[in-house]
Amino acid sequence: METRRQGISLITAICLFIGTLVVIQLWLVAAALDAWLAGESGVLVPAALASVGLFGLNVGLLAYVRAFDARLKQTQDHG
Amino acid sequence: MSEPRPRWKQDFPIKWENDHYVTRRELAKFLTLGSALLVGASALIALVGRLRRKPATPRIRLPGASQLAPGESLLFRYPTDEDPCLLVRGRDGRWLAFSQVCTHLSCAIVYRPQRDALFCPCHHGVFSVAEGVPTAGPPTRRLPRIRLEEWGGELWAVGVEV
Repeated sequence: METRRQGISLITAICLFIGTLVVIQLWLVAAALDAWLAGESGVLVPAALASVGLFGLNVGLLAYVRAFDARLKQTQDHG
Repeated sequence: MSEPRPRWKQDFPIKWENDHYVTRRELAKFLTLGSALLVGASALIALVGRLRRKPATPRIRLPGASQLAPGESLLFRYPTDEDPCLLVRGRDGRWLAFSQVCTHLSCAIVYRPQRDALFCPCHHGVFSVAEGVPTAGPPTRRLPRIRLEEWGGELWAVGVEV
C-alpha cells in the first residue's frame, strides 16, 4: 500500500534523476551548437538522437510518477 | 490525553507532507517539459545543420605568389575581404596557405623563416608550417588551411579546410 511519505522519497529521487538527465541534455545542446558554429555537422544528428533517448527516459519516469499517484489516490479513496 | 490543536493549525489545515508531495510531483512534470524543449532545440540545430549548404568557395588568383622565394610569405584575403590569410613558401619551395587568425585569441600570426614556423606574437603560440597544427604556446586547434592550386602558371586559392 502506497503512502504519501513513500511518495515524497520516491518522487524526490526521480526528480533528482530527471534533473541530471536534463543537465546532460543541456550539455548536448551546447556541444551541438558549438559544433554547428564550427562547421562540423557530423555530430548534430547523434546529439539529437541521444537527446530524444534521454527525453524518452524522462517520460518513462514521469509515467511511473503518474501511475504511483493514481495508485495512491485509489488507496486513499478506499481507505 | 492529546493537546488541543493550536489555532493556527485550524486556520491553515494543509499538511506539509501533502504540500511536498504535490510540489515535487509538479517539479517532475516541469523538468520533463524542459527536457522536451531541449529535444526540440537539439532537433532544430540538427535540422538547420543538415539543411545549411556550405557556401561555394570562390577561386581567387594570388598575384605575386610566383615571385616568392623560399622562406618568404605574402598576405592575402580569402574567401572574403574580411578573412586575412598568409601564403608561405617553405624552405623546400612548397606553397602553403593558412588563415592568419590565431585559433587562441584571434591575433594575427606571422611567418618566422628562421624557425620555419608560424608565430603568434600575442601569447607566443607556434604553429607548424607543414600542417598548421599548434606546436607550442596556448593554441590547441589547428589553423584553417587554404587549399591551393597551380593553374596557367599562376597560384589560386580554391577552398578552406577547417
